[in-house]
Amino acid sequence: MQDDHRLSTSELEMKYGTSIDKGLSSARAAEILARDGPNALTPPKATPEIVKFLKQMIGGFSILLWIGAGFSWISFGIQLAQGVDSAFDNLYLGVVLALVVILTGIFAYYQEAKSTNIMASFSKMIPQVRATVDNSSLTGESEPQSRSCDFTHENPLETRNIAFYSTTCVEGTATGIVINTGDRTIIGRIASLASGVGNEKTPIAIEIEHFVYLVAGVAISIGVLFFIISVSMRYKILDSIIFLIGIIVANVPEGLLATVTVSLSLTAKRMAKKNCLVKNLEAVETLGSTSIICSDKTGTLTQNRMTVAHLWFDNQIYSADTSEDQTTQPFDQSSPTWTALSKIVTLCNRAEFRPGQENLPIMKRVVVGDASETALLKFSEVILGDVMSIRAQNRKVAEIPFNSTNKFQLSIHETDDPQDKRFLLVMKGAPERILERCSTIMINGKEEPLDSEKAEAFQTAYMELGGMGERVLGFCHLYLPENEFPETFQFDTDSMNFPTSNLCFVGLLSMIDPPRSTVPDAVSKCRSAGIKVIMVTGDHPITAKAIAKSVGIISATSETVEDIAKRLNIPVEQVNRREATAAVVNGMELKDMSSEQLDEILRNHTEIVFARTSPQQKLIIVEGCQRQVRQAWQSVIYVPPALICATSQGSVVAVTGDGVNDSPALKKADIGIAMGIAGSDAAKNAADMVLLDDNFASIVTGVEEGRLIFDNLKKTIAYTLTKNIAELCPFLIYIIASIPMPIGTITILFIDLGTDIIPSVALAYEKAESDIMNRRPRNKRRDRLVNQQLAVYSYLQIGIMQSVGAFVTYFTVYAEQGFLPSTLLGVRVNWENNAINDFEDSYGQQWTHYQRMYLQWTGYTAFFVSITIQQVADLIIRKTRRNSIFRQGLFRNKVIWGTETPELELSCSQVFLSEIFAPTPRFQYWFVAVPFAILIWVYDEIRKLVWALGFPPSSPVVTWIKPQH
Amino acid sequence: MATLNEKKTCSERMADFRRFVWNPETKLFMGRSLINWVWISLYYLAFYVVMSGLFALSIYCLMRTINPYEPDYQDQLKSPGVTLRPDVYGDRGLRIYYNVSDNKTWEGLVTTLHTFLAAYTPAAQHLNINCTNNTYFIQDTFDGPNNTKLSCKFTSDMLQNCSGITDPTFGYPEGKPCFIIKMNRIIKFYPGNGTAPRVNCTYVGEEGSRPLDADYYPGNGTFSLHYFPYYGKKAQPSYSNPLVAVKFLNITRNVEFKIVCKVIGAGITFNVHDPYEGKVEFKLKIED
Repeated sequence: MQDDHRLSTSELEMKYGTSIDKGLSSARAAEILARDGPNALTPPKATPEIVKFLKQMIGGFSILLWIGAGFSWISFGIQLAQGVDSAFDNLYLGVVLALVVILTGIFAYYQEAKSTNIMASFSKMIPQVRATVDNSSLTGESEPQSRSCDFTHENPLETRNIAFYSTTCVEGTATGIVINTGDRTIIGRIASLASGVGNEKTPIAIEIEHFVYLVAGVAISIGVLFFIISVSMRYKILDSIIFLIGIIVANVPEGLLATVTVSLSLTAKRMAKKNCLVKNLEAVETLGSTSIICSDKTGTLTQNRMTVAHLWFDNQIYSADTSEDQTTQPFDQSSPTWTALSKIVTLCNRAEFRPGQENLPIMKRVVVGDASETALLKFSEVILGDVMSIRAQNRKVAEIPFNSTNKFQLSIHETDDPQDKRFLLVMKGAPERILERCSTIMINGKEEPLDSEKAEAFQTAYMELGGMGERVLGFCHLYLPENEFPETFQFDTDSMNFPTSNLCFVGLLSMIDPPRSTVPDAVSKCRSAGIKVIMVTGDHPITAKAIAKSVGIISATSETVEDIAKRLNIPVEQVNRREATAAVVNGMELKDMSSEQLDEILRNHTEIVFARTSPQQKLIIVEGCQRQVRQAWQSVIYVPPALICATSQGSVVAVTGDGVNDSPALKKADIGIAMGIAGSDAAKNAADMVLLDDNFASIVTGVEEGRLIFDNLKKTIAYTLTKNIAELCPFLIYIIASIPMPIGTITILFIDLGTDIIPSVALAYEKAESDIMNRRPRNKRRDRLVNQQLAVYSYLQIGIMQSVGAFVTYFTVYAEQGFLPSTLLGVRVNWENNAINDFEDSYGQQWTHYQRMYLQWTGYTAFFVSITIQQVADLIIRKTRRNSIFRQGLFRNKVIWGTETPELELSCSQVFLSEIFAPTPRFQYWFVAVPFAILIWVYDEIRKLVWALGFPPSSPVVTWIKPQH
Repeated sequence: MATLNEKKTCSERMADFRRFVWNPETKLFMGRSLINWVWISLYYLAFYVVMSGLFALSIYCLMRTINPYEPDYQDQLKSPGVTLRPDVYGDRGLRIYYNVSDNKTWEGLVTTLHTFLAAYTPAAQHLNINCTNNTYFIQDTFDGPNNTKLSCKFTSDMLQNCSGITDPTFGYPEGKPCFIIKMNRIIKFYPGNGTAPRVNCTYVGEEGSRPLDADYYPGNGTFSLHYFPYYGKKAQPSYSNPLVAVKFLNITRNVEFKIVCKVIGAGITFNVHDPYEGKVEFKLKIED
């Protein structure tokens, strides 16, 4: 295909053995069909649903729990063979563990599937507004492209004599020869390129994997260590295995992954309300860690509609309102020149409103006509009122539509003044062409001769408006003399039996696709959030730069190399490139650049605009951005320096796109963002996120949500990990000190999957602590979801305090029922022996085995209750990471307090429900751990207080005070 | 979604790890300077000392609130457990099998009984007083030596034929074995509501209706009321549980019987979940 566009028609006919008139013979066509297959794209290989489902079943902690379940069943088998009474307990435990895995797996699968379904229904829902033009699904160009038989460009994508699969013909007819089909077409190649770009792990997936490794590492090492200890303490191997299961169950936060999924999908829902539709749940967080956004211009940064921005008449430039919902135009409309100009604008226009939209605001009405005519129609409708009735009063008698050779549009009208029988000729077009046809110019309503001075003024204005990246149109008119053109005169547009020169020049109007009004604010938010915004557009550099400047992508004070050269009046080559903070890179320049040069540009300039880029180049730019190393290493927390020097980390890049051609870039990006309104289905499929309103500002909201959820997931994890120690300690102390078992495996599952779930999800609703949009993006290497400090603080400090509290409850329960702490030590073997039914307590009373077990179960519930009570304190301290709870407001997060009550209710009801196999402890045992809960809270408040004092990062205190940074 | 292409070779990982353990340039051990480690260790030492202190303090406070004579609650001890001697456990509870003609099969059982009754010799019981009035022995004051309460004497001779004194083999070789039933101690438990609780053994299962021919010692197989209530180990250090012995007189040989011995009296209840509350069940098979 590479060279086909160079060949002439006859050469092509030869090459493909066809003829332009007859086409291929049926036999030959069948042969080719058999060889190449049908003209259809191979759908991307989708992961079978069952594989996705099974992945959920074995991913994360599931493996550990399966091992636990396996061990349970093995010990059940052995005990059954030995005829042990309690063998079935292990069977049930195994079943429960397996159920936990299967249910959480189904849950996660369901959540994932649900988010995909939203997507499918979405694409049907949004109307595809592409009625007017389109070659854009492929090249992303919004203007219609003309086609001819001429070979115009080396690049097959740019040449005029090739039409592409998947593009649409807007008008006209043509005959062509098919040179490629199916996957061998350009779009086919792009599609295969897009599916070839690997779908890799999201940052949050990496974080969760890291977390799973950490917890699994702790679980397995403690498990194995205590397995060895218990074997060497002469426990039976079987018992040791049962201990091992308990340790694993205690260590694995069974409910956590489900909680994370729920939190992410809650955030995804919240983002969908703010017009960010997230396809992949994990992408929710990716947006938060984004450090570079490569944004399209058209439609994303701009309103995607031409709007009149400036006017020039009476030798003066006027600005027009370009906001989304203009209702009036503030510029001076008293001049008679304006009256004349407005008449031309109104009459020399073929665009019309679709009927039946009278109640809609003007800006929202649908117009039949091209972009500039639409802009002019709406502009005049806003200022003059009912355009259609004005046109009706000025009946059109003849018209020459715009074409590319004339570069003007002309129409002749009767006037609305019944006294005036003259015809009015109005014309608009490319300003220089219009000026050529004029001999006079209207100044303040009077026709004046067009001398060189006035022509100079016109040139200056034209250059100025053009320099702002705006599309400029010139307007002129002529009242045809009544004697030459009587009322009955027949105008013939083919022979042009009317004057088209010596007209009266009236004014200029310039149009631009103006930036959305929310965008400048969003861009400045990105700046303060440390996110670099790069504009990548197919548009002209001048327009691109103008828009970049008006939205703040290029700030008011910064200059490009060219600007500096112009200011200092020196050649571009002599400018010190380092002085230029901004850069506008043309696609043609980019084509000749090596990747090192591209890197250099990305590194040296903070404000970059890529103009005239082809969608292919977008992929190159994205890759370049991903190679960028985050410059600032402002280390605030302590990390093994080995890790810092050993790894250099790339940026997290978000890319917006709408064309089919954007899909490789969207896939390549860390987060691909497709446009919901203008986007093609291919782009939406390749993207991780869809912007429903195509608005850049929505991305920034998404970033905010993404950062918030990362912070809140940290809180959730810290909350969840803490009680693991309180669940683990009982096993360790049981093994070492041989006390009656303080907590059962099933009870642990009650906490992990019951009482703890709702509060940990509620933490996802926690408001941001400080302005999260004022800090730099998270560093993938350093700012981990779960870091050493978080784990150590949760495990070795708060977790230990919880354990102490729970053990005090445990000893209280036993002591008040007759077993003083001293009696309990070393009692395990006799305690659990069901052949001893007159076991003596500290008071000389004697207990049967069942009475002891019943007491033990009461102990389980008491232990459970005291963990729950202390988890309330844990929840309070986890609400904030550095602000005192008094500053954050204890009751600001209604959801937490909304769930706190249910948590306690749930634990109550669980306690009562579990009556069947475990008894309700006495009421006062609910309060034994309360002092410890208060202690946890006070301890953490002190930590936050110390943090507020501000210690240098090297200070050892920092390890303690910044555990969750 | 793109990758973090940071695949490292094993040796690089090892080198990184070594660097992490000891970085000669920055003089950091496991990512911290040595002095930093010292501080951290001291902090944790202090933290755990304080936590242990708090734990100890809590336990101390707990012990201060505890009554040394009796527990605050007896939630699980509503009704006493009942145990049997000799106590040989099979897969499912007590199971006593022996062969009258094989000494070895019953000598162990007899020894168990002798050992058990060793605590009931007059010498072992010399601190206790003789009681005869068969009413609750309520003591509101500490009348015993060393600020204790008195306990009633129970000596093995009260078990007459099953005391092991007249018949040191407890009737095992004859196929008329003695079993000793003991009721668990519960502080301030008043069994029988004024009537001495009585032991009654019956067949269970298919043999349920068949009368069980047995002698009970002491007379009628009752636990005399003067052994109750129990005031706890501290108040009654020399207290011994009263016993009832049962001698089965006519057990069909070579058949496994399931026998239950219940203690009958007001306040003594049974529990479906607890096979030893208020009763004791066992399997018995005498072979020849």
